[in-house]
Amino acid sequence: MSAESDMEYSDNDGDDYDYYGEQDDCDMETVDRSKSDPEFFLYSCLKVEEVEKLLNESIELLSNSLQITPSLAKVMLHAYGWNAQEIINKYRENANEVLVYSRVKPRLPVGQANSSRTNCAVCANTPLLHKYSALACGHYFCNDCWAMHFEVQIMQGVSNTIQCMAQDCEVRAPEDFVLSHVTKPTLRERYQQFMFKDHVKSHPQLRFCPGPNCQWIFQAWTREGARRVECRGCELLTCFSCGAPHHAPTDCATIRRWLTKCADDSETANYISAHTKDCPKCQICIEKNGGCNHMQCGACRHDFCWVCSGDWKTHGSEYYECSRYKEDPNLANDSQHAQAREALKKYLHYYERWENHARSLKLEEQTLASLKSRINQKVMAGEGTWIDWQYLWDAARLLKRCRYTLQYTYPYAYYMEVGPRKELFEYQQAQLEAEIENLSWKVERAETTDRGDLENQMDIAEKRRTTLLKDFLEFNTNNASSSTKV
Amino acid sequence: MAALPRRIIKETQRLMQEPVPGISAVPSETNARYFHVIVTGPEDSPFEGGLFKLELFLPEDYPMSAPKVRFITKIYHPNIDRLGRICLDILKDKWSPALQIRTVLLSIQALLSAPNPDDPLANDVAELWKVNEIEAIRNAKEWTRRYAMDN
Ligand SMILES: [Zn+2]
Ligand SMILES: [Zn+2]
Ligand SMILES: [Zn+2]
Ligand SMILES: [Zn+2]
Ligand SMILES: [Zn+2]
Ligand SMILES: [Zn+2]
Repeated sequence: MSAESDMEYSDNDGDDYDYYGEQDDCDMETVDRSKSDPEFFLYSCLKVEEVEKLLNESIELLSNSLQITPSLAKVMLHAYGWNAQEIINKYRENANEVLVYSRVKPRLPVGQANSSRTNCAVCANTPLLHKYSALACGHYFCNDCWAMHFEVQIMQGVSNTIQCMAQDCEVRAPEDFVLSHVTKPTLRERYQQFMFKDHVKSHPQLRFCPGPNCQWIFQAWTREGARRVECRGCELLTCFSCGAPHHAPTDCATIRRWLTKCADDSETANYISAHTKDCPKCQICIEKNGGCNHMQCGACRHDFCWVCSGDWKTHGSEYYECSRYKEDPNLANDSQHAQAREALKKYLHYYERWENHARSLKLEEQTLASLKSRINQKVMAGEGTWIDWQYLWDAARLLKRCRYTLQYTYPYAYYMEVGPRKELFEYQQAQLEAEIENLSWKVERAETTDRGDLENQMDIAEKRRTTLLKDFLEFNTNNASSSTKV
Repeated sequence: MAALPRRIIKETQRLMQEPVPGISAVPSETNARYFHVIVTGPEDSPFEGGLFKLELFLPEDYPMSAPKVRFITKIYHPNIDRLGRICLDILKDKWSPALQIRTVLLSIQALLSAPNPDDPLANDVAELWKVNEIEAIRNAKEWTRRYAMDN
């Protein structure tokens, strides 16, 4: 790492850990944290200007080393995934090969017949000699036609990959050539915006935050890891590898399958989104207004589980039956119709829990907000300082993190094959779920809960979470050997 | 309407003076950017003997954008869908402003001679073309007889 001193690291959990900017500290901490936190991933959150600077460094390096224009350097960097060193090495071996691969030059030389400067093949006009121009391929067209070509391409959102106008010619128009023909300021600006977006997209180390209207860009510092990134702007958790919401312990391909399935089956699953349920004991209607799934009926004081309506006492600390789906052992003998019904039942089992935890997360978000204002009031009233109440805040944030992981354990379990590994997974999942509900219960009643008790519960829940992740989180360890920071 | 670009005038003149064998393209009397096209089914193809009507429209930014072409006559072909839309690379990403109406029509004619079921637009047709070419060709001949012959 060399040029990052002016960039801030944003770590996975915002303020849970110290920032570190120094190389030595950083390496030490990297080692420590990658051991203790299975989701640890080294990355930065950059502003547009910072990314521009970063890209410009590569462009400058390449154009200085090879003595080429920055425009050409951009074409080549785009083609080679921004690996300037690779380009420099290959260019020294065989410059022509690099130029052809980047589509700066045509593979075969262009014949004289295709490069007339008396008649423009596109508009069929006969402008003066000096009103023609061509890319490295030598396909001459009149400047008016080039301008119109670029305008149409830019309006379609094409930028780095605009090609020569000649038939079957794949030579790309570098930025300076395009800009020398495009005069409209709005169009030039649009072109440069598209160029920037395209550069970020073609850069393996960069990814736009997918949050709506969010301008932050993530920069990955390692090639492997859990790839969880949290945006400093909109706080969205994203998977750096695939751009979907962060999804540990589920892997990228599985979460894509799951989300597609949920979208396809949304009709059937709709009925689940009810926000009210009757108390299983006294049948009074109870509205769920907190994230906790441990419900207590206001009328009869019956404790029950929101998810399965079962008695909460049976959801004891050791075994939390509610999260485990029991496949019917007689399934194979059943008719096709029954199998389809069973498949839907299985899906709904996992989907209900997935949806329910998503909803709990949203509700707990509200709890977090009201907690913040309650703490503020206490501080204003002289009941201690922010530091005194910090633990409440930490508890609510930890709850959020734990429930988030729990939500994403359901797609994982859904696609797991039945067997001892799935049993172990669902056992750990059940334990995590039980501790999360305990924590949620305590956080909602935080001011009357003993601090030590709450902190103890936090510790247990987080331990369950990291244990599950350590045992089941799978990421691209195959290039772990190349874990050098870029 | 804006004056017709020289390029379109020249292309139209040439299409009238030296027509492509087996293809007629005549601009509409009311709109010089709209062409009535008739393509003759190529010899030794299941479309032989048929006359296929198409429409071709040159958009405002032609030739920077490709012409819009569509079959009006029903045709059983893996690269042409029920609405007559054509799956042809030069009408999409492989379009180049140096291509002409003439080249587009020639390519469509070639597509009739050599259907490409691996790049399908009409999935059911392409599927049959791959698993049972004989039956697919029989269907294509039948459709040619029914829709492209007596008018
Ligand atoms: Zn060219
Ligand atoms: Zn021209
Ligand atoms: Zn964001
Ligand atoms: Zn992912
Ligand atoms: Zn009750
Ligand atoms: Zn339950």
